This record gives sequence, structure tokens and C-alpha cells, in this order.
Amino acid sequence: MAAAAIRIENVEVDYAAGRGTMRRILNGINLEIASGEFVSIVGQTGCGKSTLLRLILAEEAPTRGRVLVGGRERSQPDRSCGYVPQRYSLFPDKTVLGNVTFGLEVTAGGFERWRRKKEFREEALRYLRHTGLNEADAQKYPHQLSGGMQQRVAIAQALILHPPILLMDEAFSALDPGTRAGMQRLIKELWRESGTTIVFVTHNTREAVCLSTRIVALAKNSTGERGSSVALDIPVTHADFDSDHEEITTLVQRVEAATMPSTDASKLDTSKYVLL
Amino acid sequence: MSLLRIRAVPNRYTAWTLSWFLFAAGTLAYFYAAQQRHHENPDDRVMPTVSQMFTAFEDAALKPAEEEEVQEGAASQSLWQRMGNSMLWKDTKATGRRFLISVALLFPGVLLGLHMAMFPYIGSFFLRFVQFFDKIVALSLLPILFIAFGIDELSKIMLIVIGVTPTIILDTFNLSKSVPHEQIVKAFTLGAGEFTIAYRIVLKQIFPRVLNSIRLNLKAVMLFLFAGEMIASTDGLAYRIALLRRHMGMDTILPYVLWVALLLFLVDLGMSTLNRTLHPWFQEA
Repeated sequence: MAAAAIRIENVEVDYAAGRGTMRRILNGINLEIASGEFVSIVGQTGCGKSTLLRLILAEEAPTRGRVLVGGRERSQPDRSCGYVPQRYSLFPDKTVLGNVTFGLEVTAGGFERWRRKKEFREEALRYLRHTGLNEADAQKYPHQLSGGMQQRVAIAQALILHPPILLMDEAFSALDPGTRAGMQRLIKELWRESGTTIVFVTHNTREAVCLSTRIVALAKNSTGERGSSVALDIPVTHADFDSDHEEITTLVQRVEAATMPSTDASKLDTSKYVLL
Repeated sequence: MSLLRIRAVPNRYTAWTLSWFLFAAGTLAYFYAAQQRHHENPDDRVMPTVSQMFTAFEDAALKPAEEEEVQEGAASQSLWQRMGNSMLWKDTKATGRRFLISVALLFPGVLLGLHMAMFPYIGSFFLRFVQFFDKIVALSLLPILFIAFGIDELSKIMLIVIGVTPTIILDTFNLSKSVPHEQIVKAFTLGAGEFTIAYRIVLKQIFPRVLNSIRLNLKAVMLFLFAGEMIASTDGLAYRIALLRRHMGMDTILPYVLWVALLLFLVDLGMSTLNRTLHPWFQEA
């Protein structure tokens, strides 16, 4: 197995629930994601999917335990993880080209930024073409693009820096079904080409099954501490868009069963699920 | 057809006519009333007629103020020279200079508001104080300002700064806070540092709204400036209005009031045009 890109050790997350009480969102999560994996995190609303992603992003710190990315703990988001959120992924005051070259420019800094302007532009256009956009689109502002095109730009913006890990938080959930299917194929293609580790948060189980090599299902644990979530690891080795329809349906049912709020971890068939 | 339909769409000419209707009605009503008063009392000074106002404005725009000495050879001066030495131009220049300095001094307030929003320690340090300061009625500080800074320019400019800056600081603070958190996280993941995010992401995004906020506060700036000029000044548009009030010079006061409104309107229009030109993405967003 490849080296761990992300290691989550005994992580607990508590939030203030008012009147001096705390609510545990994640309870004793252990997770290891290897380099080059495509891992989807699924679960119902409020089970802690986005919290888990924010921990990996270092946007927030766990109450207990630790999160290592590339072998180190971080105090705030940095270039080690690319990020594509559901909304507001682009800077509205910059053109599409400006959005994609932004990362290259700030990384180069000062004089280099001006000297290599043409090179950055060519690189950005190459990435935009790769995500299905053309030179005319590059001159537009984000509000002039459709939701699907905006997310294509957001992906190009993140991938142009070659991040070892790409975190996507419900990145396709605001898109219509047709656009969404196109985006799913695009991200899978880019993942295969780049070998980037992708952590993909979604509430759409079918999407997770079709995209990932592995699914982490979070379920509110009725037997656990104060309603916190348990995480179940479900390997998905054969699923693909072209896979047998029945196979996908079976997998979807399995994952959905694992994310039910009443899931009692002690009663799950451990030959099918691995309790994280 | 009902006029009070929410989904009504007036045609272009109707909308244009309606938009000018109150101007026309107000002007006609004034001149009718002025005519009536002058019919009853030809020496009436409360409501001057059009010709009286025109003559007074022409004098103001082409002749020096009464208190100034008439320069030698004034009669042979060109129109531009006469306008340059005129009462109106000198008053406009004096008020305009104070106004521009005051507006320029609002921009450090913008930077403070931005830093308060971006850096929590700076926010904690300043926020409560600025919120309290914002509640102080600036005009109530006028005597203190005159005692502390004298009756020169500084006290008038300080009055405007104290009156308007806290509002601009708080507005910038709120605008900066409203930038989606996702964008700040995204910028970090793209390698941007703290100040790059503050200036290249947040300030650039909120700047059109900040300019709009300053536009909305232009009248407040002018209000404080007029208060200062009326109380302690030897030149300026408000000084002249206050001076003419003593002589019941309504024929000059009314054109001066309209002149001030026109100047403010033009400044507002200029800023609006500048905003649209500099930020093409904003108007359409």
C-alpha cells in the first residue's frame, strides 16, 4: 500500500450547543487515506461529513486527536490540499483566466509574477481546455458562466498547482443532473491522469459509488456517545460508470444502509464493513 | 389599467415624463407663488423671481465678493479671469478643498475596517471603541474641537472625520466579514498569504461597495462641512449662505443651494461612473 497521504488519529470534535453544553459531532474517528486514492465521504445531513473535510483542510482543529496531512499537523489551510467548495469557489472580481492564474502568481510573487505572466497564461489556458473551456470563456467573469462551467474553472484553479490532495465539498450538488454527470466523468478522468488523492464529500450515494475507490460512510450512532457519528469504511473496487447496473445498485443499498441514523455499529456485518 | 400594479411596465417615455414631473411641478409652483408675492409687494425678498435669481447668480459667478477690493483693470478682464476672481468660484474652491481632504481622509478608515475584519486581534482592539465612537453626535463635539484645534481648517476637517469615519469603518468591517469564508480558505489553499488575502481578495471584492458607501455618506460629509463653515469660516459656500441670510439675500441663497446640490450630484455621478468603469464585474453581479 502506498504511503498515507492523510492520517486521522482518534479524532473527536465537540461543538458548543448552547447553555454551556457540548455536542459531539465526531467520536474517535481513525482513518488513513493512501496516496492516489479517491475516497468519498457520505452520510446524511448533520453527520459530520463537512466537519471531517474541514479537519483535513486544517480549517478547524479537532477537540481531541490529530490530523496529519503529508505526515505533518497544520494550523491553517495551505497548498498541501487543493479545495473545491460547493459555492463561492471563484473570486468574482477576477476573470476566469485571473482565477486560474491566481495561485501561480501568488506562489511566484513579486517580480517573477510579472516576468512569467505569459507562461502562466499559457498554462492556465491549457488547464481550462482540459476541463472543457475555451479561450473566449477565459476572458469572462464568473457570474457570466453557468454553474457547471464555474465548477470546471474551480477544478482547473485547484489542479494547476498540482496539489497532492484535492478536497471537494459537495462540489457538484448544486448542478443539474446532466451537468453533474459530465463533471463526474471529468473529475474521474483528471484523477486517473494526475494521480492526485481526492477526498470527495457528497450526500449522493450513487455518485460516491461511481466515483470512488473507497467510501467512508458516516452514520449518527444511536449507541454512541451523545449521538456522535461512527465511520464505516466500504471498499469499492469494481464500481465505475460502465459497471453493471445491478452491482452499483447493490453497493448503493449497502452504503445507504450504513448511513442510516439508527446504525448500531455493534450489529453491522463486519465482513462487509470495517469500523474505523 | 391600474397604476398600482406590481408587475406594471411603464414605457420609456412615460417613465421619463414621470421622473421629471415633480421637478417641473415644483418649479412652476415656486414661480407662480413668487409672481403672486411680487404682484402684492414688488419689494418682496422672500421669494425672488427668476430674473432676480439669474442676475444674482450672474453677479456671484462673475464679480468678486463685496468685501473684497475690486482689482485694477477688472473691467478689461476676460470672462475666464472674471470667473476665476468671482465670489462663487472662490467659495466653491474653499469648500471643495475641505470636502476633498475630508473624503481622502475616509480611506484610512476603510483600511482600518478591513484590518479589523481580517485580523481578530485588531478587531478586538478597535471594534467596541469604534462602535461607541460612532454613537457620539459629532456636532456636539464642535465646541470642543474649536477649543482644541482653534477655528481654522483643522477643526472643520476633524468634525467631518469624527462624524463620518466611524460609519465608514464599521461599514467596511461588515462588508469584509460578508466575503464568503470559502474564498478565504480557497485563497489559502492556492498559496496566498495573510496580506495577499486581505488586499487582493477581500479589499478588491468589497471596494465597489465601499465606494457606494462613501457615495451614500457624501451628504453627511457636506452636512458637517456646512456646520463648520457656518459657525467659523471666512470663505466657503456655507459661509456665504450664512452671511447672505443676514441680508435676506434669498436671490443668491437659492442659486447657491441649487449649486451645492448640483456639485454633489456631479461628484456622486462621477464616483458612480468610476465605480462602473473600474469594476465591470460588480454592476452585473
